[in-house]
Amino acid sequence: MRASVRIQHEDFSQDEEIARLKTRSQRTGAVASFLGCARDFSEGRAVSEINFDAYADMALAEMTVMREQAIAMFTLIDASIVHRLGTVKSGDNIVFIATSAEHRAEALEGCQWLIDELKRRVPIWKKEITPDGDFWVVPHA
Amino acid sequence: MIKVLFFGPVADTIGQRSIDIEYRIDMSLQDLRESLAQRFPQAFGIVAFTAVNGVQTRNMRQLLADRSEIAFMAKFSGG
Repeated sequence: MRASVRIQHEDFSQDEEIARLKTRSQRTGAVASFLGCARDFSEGRAVSEINFDAYADMALAEMTVMREQAIAMFTLIDASIVHRLGTVKSGDNIVFIATSAEHRAEALEGCQWLIDELKRRVPIWKKEITPDGDFWVVPHA
Repeated sequence: MIKVLFFGPVADTIGQRSIDIEYRIDMSLQDLRESLAQRFPQAFGIVAFTAVNGVQTRNMRQLLADRSEIAFMAKFSGG
């Protein structure tokens, strides 16, 4: 069985991730998910692809802690976090978060919290490849 | 020996992903940062976070142990 928290170069299947969560418990009444994908335009520039770099050991450890925190804070049944590294083309998947709970409110809130925390806490960096050159993305907040 | 790791924009600016620094007794995180910032001022202008052995810290007075792994990191932009 695949781990609930992963960083990987290859693409992932939303269906497989959600199916794994649904089969985790018969008490599951709601699954919420977030899919982040690569835009072809950013900061006024066309973007052909995005390169991701990470401090992989720390990123995985932090994502694992976040998952455990989300399960405790939002009374989730389970949660999955998958983030890609390496080169991602425009339109491709980048990150997937899914949460399962007995009711929708917990699943939705837990999912929102996890993507917000991922952006704030997980040591991953993205560089946009454009016709004008390569640019590391500087977060707004 | 202290292993210093760089990632993303910091690694690009320095042109290396890691360097080894000779360990010396009573070396603090601040000592290490100051000495590297002198060598790589442009890269350290974008350093926002520091981790010791994979754990983020703001305690720059922290003394380092031999064989520590230190990361100086820019703001994260994953997701």
